[in-house]
Amino acid sequence: MAKFMFLYRGGHEKMKEMSPEQMQQGVQAWMSWIQGGTDAGWLLDGGDGLNAEGQVVQSDLSVIDGPFAESKELVGGYSMVEAADLGAATELAKTSPMPAAGGTVEVRQLSGHTSD
Amino acid sequence: MSAEGVSTGATQLVEHFFRHESAKLIAVLTRAFGFSRLDLVEDKVQESMLAAMQAWRQRGVPTNPAGWIYRVARNRILDALRREEAHQRALALSHQTEADVELLVTEWLSEDQLPDSLLRMIFVCCHPALDRRSQIAMTLKILCGFSLAEIARGLLVSTEAAKKRVQRAKKTLAQQQVEIDLPSSAHLQARLSVVQEVLYLMFNEGYSTSQGIEPLREDICEEAARLCHLLCEHRAFSTPSTRALMALMLFHASRLEARVDSQGAVVLLADQDRSKWDRQLIAVADSWLERSKGESPSRFHLEAAIARVHCQADCVSSTDWGLIVRLYDRLLALNPSPLYILNRAVARGESGEVDAALADLESIRTGRAMSNYSLLDCAAGRLHELADNDAAAREAYTAALSAAVAPHEQALLRKKLEQLLPDEPA
Repeated sequence: MAKFMFLYRGGHEKMKEMSPEQMQQGVQAWMSWIQGGTDAGWLLDGGDGLNAEGQVVQSDLSVIDGPFAESKELVGGYSMVEAADLGAATELAKTSPMPAAGGTVEVRQLSGHTSD
Repeated sequence: MSAEGVSTGATQLVEHFFRHESAKLIAVLTRAFGFSRLDLVEDKVQESMLAAMQAWRQRGVPTNPAGWIYRVARNRILDALRREEAHQRALALSHQTEADVELLVTEWLSEDQLPDSLLRMIFVCCHPALDRRSQIAMTLKILCGFSLAEIARGLLVSTEAAKKRVQRAKKTLAQQQVEIDLPSSAHLQARLSVVQEVLYLMFNEGYSTSQGIEPLREDICEEAARLCHLLCEHRAFSTPSTRALMALMLFHASRLEARVDSQGAVVLLADQDRSKWDRQLIAVADSWLERSKGESPSRFHLEAAIARVHCQADCVSSTDWGLIVRLYDRLLALNPSPLYILNRAVARGESGEVDAALADLESIRTGRAMSNYSLLDCAAGRLHELADNDAAAREAYTAALSAAVAPHEQALLRKKLEQLLPDEPA
């Protein structure tokens, strides 16, 4: 088995127009997905959301406000997943609520944790 | 990190939590910062709920989710106010310090004080300076947490029209310099009857099947009943007519599920599976009606009594139509509405007076007071059927079909016409 990180991006455009009831459905969809993955064992850590505002330390140690990416490019959260290979992890990413919310999931394998 | 930030890992929210939290916070915070800040408050509450969604979806719901959203909303509103000119800010804080306002808001959000803010907001949204449609739209927006798109879907208008209606209503209320107050005792009766009227119309918007069934519209029924219940729990507003309205809504609500078949098609009262009617709800409605005795019955009393007769009958033929006719007579004495005449005509027909009933319908037709003649032709069709005059029934249903707009109404009428086909000559 290998470990993967899911990086969630975007979905903000749809969010702005959401009604409270749709927000409820959104939160509920995420919570059931996280619960389901945890119970099944493939979700190692549901992870967390990331606030948009932050700072970036440059190579010369200067600090800039950032990351200033387009909101659909900005990483908005992450989760940790265990799967047999990249293909299997990608299939799991498809089951997340992110695509339906208008966002993307980037699936990346952790380099140092490949076991076999 | 604050205690609220710690996840409990809870994966369930109370039903309609966001919707009701939105209404609650908008009512209390607008009361604190003044009606002129309604737009700011609405924006910040929306932002806070989005922040909650982002923060909770992966970590679960915090121990006190309502407190979490409130704190974020409060901070964002105060931040926005701090960016304003000093005199404007002073106005928003009504010469109080931020700490004073915070104390006040915390008190108003407490369980025993919350209804007061919600009721004040109901009276603002149902202000007599607004027309009925705007009052309904404002109530759905502010007190029920409906988005403009949802209001549009519920009221069968475009989102643009719903937006304009809400914006105009806010402008009118601002021009009236409304206070977020309860009506004075001198105006209480008149103001309360407007609120009752709005809630009943809102309920009917949700209940009506004229455009088919849409789950969101049942939410409108539920919200109207919830707000009516809020009135019922207040000493000054729990009048006999408010309680009768509560009973009326619950009698209707008991039949919500039976109005639709498994394919989502509308089922008429006569064809409904009465075992699907919610007996528990009917019992609750009964007890509200019993507690609604007053000096003279209102339209809500009489309409609730009619709904009760239907709820008590096992089938159409065992319904006490004579009693229904007498109740419509009394309603007509209060308000000579053509819709009451039409409904009484159907009841008269069912109780055996078909000729008198047909004459009633003719009087409405010549009076030209109805907007929906398809309804009139449907009623006439039913009366002719009762008189075993199939040819006349066919003619009436055909006329109704030519005016029917909604696909499910057309389907119902086509089915009627098929059943009435003349026997093939042997």
